[in-house]
Amino acid sequence: MSEATMQTRTAPEQPAETIRRPLPDIVPALALMAVSLAVWEIVIRVFDVPTFVLPAPSAVVVSLIESRMQLLDAARFTAAEVLIGFVLAAITGMAVALVIARFERFGRALYPLIVLFQNVPKIALAPIFILWFGYDLAPKVLLIVVIAFFPVAIDMLAGLQSVEPSFVALMNSVGAGKTKILMRVRIPHALPHLFAGLKVAITFSVIGAIVGEFAGANAGLGYVIQFASTQLDTPLIFSALVVVSVLGLAFYYVVELAEKLLVPWAPKYDAHRHSI
Amino acid sequence: MNPAVAVMHASSTEPQAAAPSVEIAATGVAVDFIHDGRRQHVLKDIDMQVPRGSLVSLIGPSGCGKSTLLKVMAGLIQPTAGSVTVDDLAPQDAAKKRIIGLVFQDATLLPWKNAIENAAFLLLTADPGVSKSDATARAAEMLKLVGLEGAERKMPSQLSGGMRQRVAIARALALDPQVLLMDEPFGALDAITREEMSQCLLDIWERTGKTIVLVTHSIDEAVFLSGEVHVMGTGPARIIETLPINLPQPRNEDSYSEPAFKIAEKRLRSLLVESRRRRS
Repeated sequence: MSEATMQTRTAPEQPAETIRRPLPDIVPALALMAVSLAVWEIVIRVFDVPTFVLPAPSAVVVSLIESRMQLLDAARFTAAEVLIGFVLAAITGMAVALVIARFERFGRALYPLIVLFQNVPKIALAPIFILWFGYDLAPKVLLIVVIAFFPVAIDMLAGLQSVEPSFVALMNSVGAGKTKILMRVRIPHALPHLFAGLKVAITFSVIGAIVGEFAGANAGLGYVIQFASTQLDTPLIFSALVVVSVLGLAFYYVVELAEKLLVPWAPKYDAHRHSI
Repeated sequence: MNPAVAVMHASSTEPQAAAPSVEIAATGVAVDFIHDGRRQHVLKDIDMQVPRGSLVSLIGPSGCGKSTLLKVMAGLIQPTAGSVTVDDLAPQDAAKKRIIGLVFQDATLLPWKNAIENAAFLLLTADPGVSKSDATARAAEMLKLVGLEGAERKMPSQLSGGMRQRVAIARALALDPQVLLMDEPFGALDAITREEMSQCLLDIWERTGKTIVLVTHSIDEAVFLSGEVHVMGTGPARIIETLPINLPQPRNEDSYSEPAFKIAEKRLRSLLVESRRRRS
């Protein structure tokens, strides 16, 4: 008996090991997702779990459809925050990196301060920003900039500084100055690194927007989640989560698409090595 | 522009055979590095002359300062004492006049530019007066010279290590320098590619008549390519012997089996062993 269960447990895994590689990434991922959702649905029904504790996927879908207008409005609001915050964070990050790379002495003074600042848990600044700027767009955008500029600055700087010294020597030998080397070599060289940073930054931006809305808002997906939790409307919480995830994913792929178009020579970097 | 920069298309395989003038002269060159508050003598009392149009090698154990000496000649490092002249100019001035071309162990091509753009890049940087089409034409010519005809549009990621190094050589040659300074240019390549590249470099030297200084730690390479080998020793680094290589020209793969090759090889090996023993 136990031998039989052992076999049924191990048997499906062995072919899965060999099949996994030739299949496109998305097929096994989708299959696993479908199985997980089915198990989830069955567990909820079999054990009769109350909806306010954990809704079944079907209940979430129903809620998604019923509250679609509310969710769409909220998503639009959050997306605007993310977009504005991300663009400002990217500009700030690039500017900081360029200043540090170009003006080495000033950079040596600035860089430790930025690293120090990075160690402040910036999410904790949300209430202060709300206090200063009210419930509007500004505090969320500021929170996003503060959270998301860092990976951009650090990756861009790493890219600017990782030009081989012998190539710099080559440029020096023909009389090229620092600005020329920066414009012609360092900046294009840094682009793949920059995009690695931007991909982290876009993920952070979504987190920043939601946290900002938690801290104080009257619109947005974070607001919907908090409002729904006070109403014990757990399906709506999950619906909002689904929308947040789709939004985050969409933003991420826009950045990745931009990377593919702008830096086709980029080597593959692991974009998920940063943490907040 | 400097009239001396014009290509010297030497038809003879032994350029400047009689009474060669001096292209690079080092007199009493010393380089100290300050490391952990202590003065380290990297080079001491280096006297060396490189005849115009010759191909000479610097060979020695690693850490003997041969790359440092090359960097002094390139004007990338200021000597602590003594002086170096390249074509009777200070190295920095010579570099700005595009008298010096540099090739390093790593090809360091720009990954976002194809072979011909990489070959033209330094020329365009060095001389804003050169039009892009002129630079490209010059780069195409140099790629042809290094045997990369047909690979002009390839990206660096599509090129083998040897081909990338050929592009790096073409990039240096595009400046039309009188002097080519090469720091272990084939050090990162496999043995067969190295021999191919040696032959390629020899062809370039014979066709252009450039003065070439080659830093290497390969005895074969030094003997096969050079008219003269400067053997360096450590502690502090200096030239322990300058060995003329009496291997007949033109050289080809048969040269490796010539008696003169074996003699020079043996002599170099014993000098290098000696320099290592003296250090310990």
